[in-house]
Amino acid sequence: MVKMSRSPNVANESANQNMSIPEALAKANAHWNAGQADIAEMLCQRVLAAWPGHPDALHLLGLMAHAYGNLDVAINYLRQACAAPRAPAVYSANLAEMCRQRGLLPEGETHARRAVQMDTTHAGAWNNLGIILQEMGQYEESKRCLERVLTLQPHNAEAHNNLGNTCKRLGELTAAQRHWNRALSLRPNYAEPHSNLANLLSSQGEFDSAAAHAKRAIELNPRFADAYINLAGVETARNRHGEALRWIDSLLSFAPQHAVALASRALTLKKLDQLEEALAAVDRALVASPENAEAHNAHGQILQALGRTEEAMAAYDRAATLPGTATEQALINRAILLMEQGQSEPAKAEFDKVIQLYPGSAMALFNSADLRKFSEGDPLIETMHRLLNAGAETSSNDKMLLHYALGKAYLDIGNSEAAFQHLNSGSKMKRQTLDYNAAATTGWMESIAKQFSAKFLKERAGQGNASPMPIFVLGMPRSGTTLTEQVLASHPSIHGAGELGLMQAIINKIGDFPGNVPDLSPEALKQFGDSYVADITKIAHGKPYVVDKMPINFAFAGLIRLMLPGAHIIHSRRDPVDTCLSCYSKLFTAEQSFSYDMAELGQFHRDYQNLTAHWRKVLPAKFFLEVDYEAMVEDLETQAKRMLKFLGLPWDPNCLNFHETKRTVRTASVNQVRKPVYKTSAGRWRKHAAQLGPLLQALDIAAE
Amino acid sequence: MNLEALQVEVHNLIQTDQPEKAEALLRPHLAGGVGPIPLWRQMAVALRRQGRMGEVKQIQLMLVEHNPGDLTARFDLSETLLMLGEYERGWREYQYRYSLAHTVAIERKVQLPRWSGEAMPGKTLLIHDEQGYGDTFQFIRLTREAARRSKARVILEVNHEALALARRSLPEFEITARGTLPPRFDVHCEMMSLPMALGLKLSDLPGPIPYLQPDPARLAHWRNRLAGLPRPLVTLAWAGRPVHPNDANRSISFDMLAPFAGTGAHFLPVQQGPAAAQANITPPGMSSMSLSDEIRDFDDTAAIFCLTDLLISVDSSPTHLAGALGRPAWVMLPFVPDWRWLINRSDTPWYPHHRIFRQPKRGDWPGLLNNVATALREFVNQPRQVL
Repeated sequence: MVKMSRSPNVANESANQNMSIPEALAKANAHWNAGQADIAEMLCQRVLAAWPGHPDALHLLGLMAHAYGNLDVAINYLRQACAAPRAPAVYSANLAEMCRQRGLLPEGETHARRAVQMDTTHAGAWNNLGIILQEMGQYEESKRCLERVLTLQPHNAEAHNNLGNTCKRLGELTAAQRHWNRALSLRPNYAEPHSNLANLLSSQGEFDSAAAHAKRAIELNPRFADAYINLAGVETARNRHGEALRWIDSLLSFAPQHAVALASRALTLKKLDQLEEALAAVDRALVASPENAEAHNAHGQILQALGRTEEAMAAYDRAATLPGTATEQALINRAILLMEQGQSEPAKAEFDKVIQLYPGSAMALFNSADLRKFSEGDPLIETMHRLLNAGAETSSNDKMLLHYALGKAYLDIGNSEAAFQHLNSGSKMKRQTLDYNAAATTGWMESIAKQFSAKFLKERAGQGNASPMPIFVLGMPRSGTTLTEQVLASHPSIHGAGELGLMQAIINKIGDFPGNVPDLSPEALKQFGDSYVADITKIAHGKPYVVDKMPINFAFAGLIRLMLPGAHIIHSRRDPVDTCLSCYSKLFTAEQSFSYDMAELGQFHRDYQNLTAHWRKVLPAKFFLEVDYEAMVEDLETQAKRMLKFLGLPWDPNCLNFHETKRTVRTASVNQVRKPVYKTSAGRWRKHAAQLGPLLQALDIAAE
Repeated sequence: MNLEALQVEVHNLIQTDQPEKAEALLRPHLAGGVGPIPLWRQMAVALRRQGRMGEVKQIQLMLVEHNPGDLTARFDLSETLLMLGEYERGWREYQYRYSLAHTVAIERKVQLPRWSGEAMPGKTLLIHDEQGYGDTFQFIRLTREAARRSKARVILEVNHEALALARRSLPEFEITARGTLPPRFDVHCEMMSLPMALGLKLSDLPGPIPYLQPDPARLAHWRNRLAGLPRPLVTLAWAGRPVHPNDANRSISFDMLAPFAGTGAHFLPVQQGPAAAQANITPPGMSSMSLSDEIRDFDDTAAIFCLTDLLISVDSSPTHLAGALGRPAWVMLPFVPDWRWLINRSDTPWYPHHRIFRQPKRGDWPGLLNNVATALREFVNQPRQVL
């Protein structure tokens, strides 16, 4: 027995006595349990002085360092402790968990495996191995480890929570929910399962209850980052982006370097059309955590939105190769980007790869449906039906995606009835996530027409910024705006910028629109005009004209006339039923809240007809041109020449080869503009007339 | 003015005790209930200095709702709620007292679970006191209720100075000194987390009084020492521990007690620490005999309180010791006091024999001391029992 020497400097009685090393260590542990860190540390140091490398003393010092947040110091102590010949399994298990917290997954795995090998009945070691494997994406083995914990300790709330997480990753949603609920019944004030349930319920469209769980988690642990992320996710899912941003910022206020929060912030800002801020946020995420796959994915999406295609692709490649759970999303993002660039075949191959790797990926099936021409007996249709019928194992969000994909498939096959059965189901699910008031929209558009009377426009004429640079292509979504823009953008003097959020941002600044319009001073109109021109100049690639093809700008044509009196406006028109049918069969990435109910969609179109009829009357023909999609399809050259003449530009034959233009297209029409001409569209609704009752009624169009 | 310059100016106004001006400067930036968070924080401080706690509460609730992870904001809210007597949420938010920039390092990291009020027969519960002596004297009363509720074996750990009082007064518990190794336990609770665990309400107060007992030997000693002194005997304490963050606001100097001269009372300064020497110079006409140098520990102070008629003190540990012994005290408080004295009342639910004197307006010690002197004249003229 090694005796420890007396130390005259030690204040505490328990450290002053002669005691054996086991006695000293027992005391050290007891002091540490009681929160008396000073004495515990002193005793450990004295043991180490007498016996350098004593594993128990090193282990306790490591635990203390960990409790005080010094993770690196803790890991260092535990590595030394575990190097001792008789270090017990629990030391390796603890080291494994610390490695996981530090992001050292492979080393953590090694220690955890060593622990369970040394003691096959050590529940803590199995638990730690289970969550390390979960983070490494090895879900099946993770599940076995965590089930083993529950065999040893059936009432272990943490193990239930962890197993729930693994089940979720395996797509076993019912089991996940069961384990989280069990964890909560064992420990009602356990924040983690609340947060996890929030995530699950959100994907099932149960937003109120999801938000309540996330808020409960935050109440239980106000510094629990995941709960904030999940709460923001709920708000994003129900299109409350401002609220989502508020929760992310709330998290960042105490965890400014949180990579996932910064990445979420970036994606939310992207949804709010604040791309520069989004890029800044995601750059911070990557500085904070260069190895974070979610941050790389977000980076790619922002770069893609900014038109920096090659960098976006590189970001997705990086995200796909980093360890973690973001691979599926990264591969899908890659494929979508290829699709947007018009590389249909590589995109399709990429999607096929994802579907092979992740056979249940509704996201991949949905996104690839547009690239395919389905035929009867296509095995993917069977796959989609199987997923759709998997009950609670498929989240309701995934089911919605599958309904839309199947809708597309049956339209391809020509089975109108089955197609609309799925489209109706999908749109109904989407509609439930939206707050939309059709009557308010009607009133809004009427008030716009009333506000921008011929008299008002005349009174305010001559204000704003008279730059000829802006070209607006507007109209209903799916009315041919993408084709129009493509044709124009093939001209050497014109850059096609896609759907810009700039006008919406100006409307947001005005606040009540059109209510506040009479109060706009000449200075305000000038400032709006200047800022719009400055913003498009930045993305013009040096060209003198820039197309903004945001369809909804049809509501702001009067304001555009006042703030940008030199801007040309092209109104893209198309057969009303074809337009609405096309809207109805799409699940938009941006919000088109009016488009998920046939009657509401029809009403919206009527409102649009009235408002654009008003513009036709009050806007000067020199700056307002209407182009019919059907005429473009019939005789592209005539219409293209007509548009260029309207713009005062010389003819350029490239405009007829628009499908060769190497630029990214980022709307729901992405796969059509690449085909030379899209004649199959015109009048296509008639063969589906039997399915379109409420729409035709709202549009006041007879089915014959 | 940009936001930063505004904040600097508001900060300076608050530092120089001009919260009304700070408020006026902030108001336009927070019109319509919307404004930057840092300005709301400053507004809460400006209003708190003015004692407008209802308005402070509304702002702090909003700040916490907006940023639940701002634990400093939660602690600030707890103090406001406790001051307003809203104990349920107040005690809950008070759990963040060790999450502040200057407290995070002093939290005791006990490695076993914290008690949350449940019954746990067969288990051992360690209750440990925290910082100030006053806190221990005030909250040690909850020990018996915790034992009753937990059905556990209770070990009480208190600071060395309170140890003898605690052992004598709570003889049924094992009591250990802070800093020594307590016996094995299963669950712990900080003494000031007991209110949260027990769900303490205002109506539960004060509980059985007295809950601390003096030492009979010390009583005999001090009875002898104080024999023959003219009555009423009024003990005095005018300064708290100088290291307390709010000390400048709560402490005064001995010479400010001059209005007490001529009230007819005989004064016994019991002040400890550096401020005790101030009693060497007695204001003209004041009958005073300092006991400060003869007091060895809280047992002496406790015995003195039991043998004298009244303690007059600022917000410091003697007020709690007197209260725990069931002895009367008059407490002299700054305009915005510590949360434990609540607001807008001249009594305290914690100690039924205490009377609270508050500054009539911010910083107005003279007004307060005159009110005490007036009350003291009445007190001197009351018939009283001879101890």
